[in-house]
Amino acid sequence: MATNDTRLTGWADQDHVPGLKSELLELNMGPQHPATHGVLRLLLHTDGEIVYKVTPVVGYLHRCAEKIAEGVDYKQWVVYTDRFDYLGPVTNNHAYVTAVEKLTELEVPARAEHLRVVTAELSRIASHLIALATFGLDMGAWTPLLYCFREREVILNLLERIAGGRMLYNYMVPGGVRYDLPQDNWVSDVLEFVTMLENKKLPDYNTLLTYNKIFIERTSDVAIIDRETAIDYGCTGPVLRGSGVQFDCRRNDPYSIYPQLDFEIPVGKGEMGTVGDCWDRYIVRVREIEQSCRIIRQALEQLPEGPVHAIELKKPVRVPAGAAYSRTEAAKGELGHYIISDGGTKPFRNKVRSCSFCNLQVIEKVGVGQMVSDLVAFVGSLDIVLGEIDR
Amino acid sequence: MEPKAIFDLLTAHLGEGAAEYRENDIESWACVSVARIADACRFLRDTEGLEFGQLMCLSGIDWDGYDENGKGKSVAILGYEADGTPETSDRVADGELGVAYHLYSHTCDHKFTLRLRFPRDKATVPTVSDIWSTARWHEREAWDLMGIRFEGHPDPRRILLSEDWVGHPLRKDYQMPDQWLNVPLRGQPYANNPFAPADDAPAGDDTPAEG
Amino acid sequence: MEAMYTFFMDKAGMGELGAHITVAAIMASLMFIVMALCAIIFTWMERKVAGFLQSRYGPMRTGRWHGWAQAVADMLKILGKEDIIPAEADKGLFVFAPLLVLLGSLLAWAAIPWAPDFVAADLDLGLFYIFAVSSLVVIGILMAGWASNNKWSLYGAARGAAQMVSYEIPLALAAIPVVMYTGSLNTQDIVIAQQGGIWNWFFLRNPFLFVAFIMYFIASIAETNRGPFDMPETESELVSGYHTEYTGMRFAFFFLAEYANLFLVSMIAVMIFLGGWWSPIPGLDFAPALTFIIKGVIMVFMNMWVRWTLPRVRVDQLMHLCWKVMIPITLICVIGAGLWMMASGAAS
Repeated sequence: MATNDTRLTGWADQDHVPGLKSELLELNMGPQHPATHGVLRLLLHTDGEIVYKVTPVVGYLHRCAEKIAEGVDYKQWVVYTDRFDYLGPVTNNHAYVTAVEKLTELEVPARAEHLRVVTAELSRIASHLIALATFGLDMGAWTPLLYCFREREVILNLLERIAGGRMLYNYMVPGGVRYDLPQDNWVSDVLEFVTMLENKKLPDYNTLLTYNKIFIERTSDVAIIDRETAIDYGCTGPVLRGSGVQFDCRRNDPYSIYPQLDFEIPVGKGEMGTVGDCWDRYIVRVREIEQSCRIIRQALEQLPEGPVHAIELKKPVRVPAGAAYSRTEAAKGELGHYIISDGGTKPFRNKVRSCSFCNLQVIEKVGVGQMVSDLVAFVGSLDIVLGEIDR
Repeated sequence: MEPKAIFDLLTAHLGEGAAEYRENDIESWACVSVARIADACRFLRDTEGLEFGQLMCLSGIDWDGYDENGKGKSVAILGYEADGTPETSDRVADGELGVAYHLYSHTCDHKFTLRLRFPRDKATVPTVSDIWSTARWHEREAWDLMGIRFEGHPDPRRILLSEDWVGHPLRKDYQMPDQWLNVPLRGQPYANNPFAPADDAPAGDDTPAEG
Repeated sequence: MEAMYTFFMDKAGMGELGAHITVAAIMASLMFIVMALCAIIFTWMERKVAGFLQSRYGPMRTGRWHGWAQAVADMLKILGKEDIIPAEADKGLFVFAPLLVLLGSLLAWAAIPWAPDFVAADLDLGLFYIFAVSSLVVIGILMAGWASNNKWSLYGAARGAAQMVSYEIPLALAAIPVVMYTGSLNTQDIVIAQQGGIWNWFFLRNPFLFVAFIMYFIASIAETNRGPFDMPETESELVSGYHTEYTGMRFAFFFLAEYANLFLVSMIAVMIFLGGWWSPIPGLDFAPALTFIIKGVIMVFMNMWVRWTLPRVRVDQLMHLCWKVMIPITLICVIGAGLWMMASGAAS
């Protein structure tokens, strides 16, 4: 904030055109705008095309889910977690139930862990597909949007067969998952989809968008977040990995069955420009889709038999008193829950540390000095979702 | 590094009495005094070997009604009766407020937790937003939803709620207002509804259209 | 054209002036009808082309066969919309802007040769006139952006003006080698000079002319504010750019003007590079106007193909492309084509 202010006052004190009073143009990239992914308001102060100050205004989607958490049972609140990152909802479920299980002594059955990982990774792919699609759309490439949505449609159908909902699932409970596999050939359908995605569709997207000269010109060397800024602003997920930091909660703070699975963590290397530019964040997401496909394949091959939940679904879950912060890798970054329990069936305090909330703040620093078009590219590469920021 | 070792280094810097260590199987934490928190955070970030470069989470907590024995019934919040009138309680909220800091170091790969507690009517804490920039928004949210003031914060405005909202919703004694900008908040009908039908208008047919 | 003049002068007994006025009125109405038809047909074609490129169908229901009546339905819908002028907008400029934009493209249609001896205005300055008159569109866009009293529209208008004025230069420069070969600016002469089958068409006469054709194609995409160069109306940044505040029939004018412009630049490309009304096989010239229109439609299809494939170029990159890449290349084309002409002895 301090740097922005001196820049603003510095601009105002300069004699831009002798004899004429100059002002910065105050522009509102308002809550309703095709490029801000959700109801986000960006207040810009610009001089021509260059932006001198960006102020994000959030809170248009605030539903105070944390207050609701204090009034409903631990199991009932899983429904609300879906509504945070509504583009990759199963990963949010996973974060919350992992946090609750940290305070209890519940043993999650192995079959449930595998099903959790498979559905969470499918959700992650779905979220990244939208990230790629809308990023391309912000750049003016209309066609990849339709292709990515075509793939996402398959995922939504698969998840509907197992969980009952197309977009919001309420699939997990503390202690397992709600439903077992459907009685049809779900596993082979998932494997077929994953194979098709890896072998045919991702190379398609790479030819059409990723290695397209115009796209590279628009996104490389644009909005560079260096390593120190990313860590200082608490950025996580593809934003942090795009800046060259090899950190993934699935590897560095393992949970569920991720220690047994073999996958890589893609990191931005500045292949097309500088480390930490928009292209790096984008390619990290593309490569994460490939890695998720690997994870799904392994988890399904190793799927054991057994029950799918360790609790009785009709009875409330009682969590012993205690407090713990637990974090997992959601689609957009590190999703953390600080749950304080006082021994009852409802949480005493449930603080949600959402990834997009911290990722968006970096725009106040890195957005200064960009052009308006680059700002749009930057917001697209951060891949924020307002449900998560506002909770 | 183990949390106890980190804590020992911290007390060595802060001096005796500024912090206490609470051991726990799941997550141990250091209870720091409010006046020394900025100093403690700066030490944790800048010391070689500790290097806590990332503030993972800053949470505001309202401890009113917490049952230390672990037999809580989690009924500290006030809700609504069946007919929509708000619940009232003679019990005045008198518990303490708190802040929890969860720190992580990328270079040393260790975590640490700090906690503060302070009385309700003295809810002012020094800011750490000049130490970790991510704290700016976290502290704004703690002010917005919990009513904890952060001294020295460059931009102490509400973040999630509207600028003219009154009250701090996550507090245990929060009462939802009746209306906000003429929007009724408890399910009651709108007052001065400009679109209400006139008193002598004929009763409409509410069945859906055919086809 | 001669037949029409003699008809009106001899048969209908009008004087020379009267005949000229009548023929001009008939041609103008014909141009207007063709323009309206092309707007409707190209809207439909754009949606179908976009659909098939995006692995979906596009309109399928209105009119039963592949939704051909969708564009007609859209036009009828637009005519029925409420006409809103923002309260603080500059009313005179706001109302006049779409008319100016439409005028700019329609005036240029007058000099296009559809068939041998069938051109509305047989000007000796034909090509020059076309480029000059289509610059009126820039003024219309600036007026629309300013009069809307909307900061985003102003952004779009400023970008649009800069872009269109800059890209007129490579557009015209790319046409100069053609003029050098023909020795005349008259559009009829340019087409006649390409007779004799596909190898006589200007884009294959010499490699510099081929490069000039590519440059012309790219500059024409930028002139029509379409495809990778649609910065003035980027939907994802400026909502709709300079025509954000326009509704109803006024918006339909912008819409009409965009497709009229698109067909215009495609027809010019066909006229100066792709042989005009001549068929690719010499001797098979039985339907010159139809050949001309078919070639124009093919060029429009190429334009649409490029639009739905490529992402958008940023404003400063767009300017860089024009001034630092395309203008030097087109200048080299001019010089190179001239040298080739001298060397091959084809100088006329």
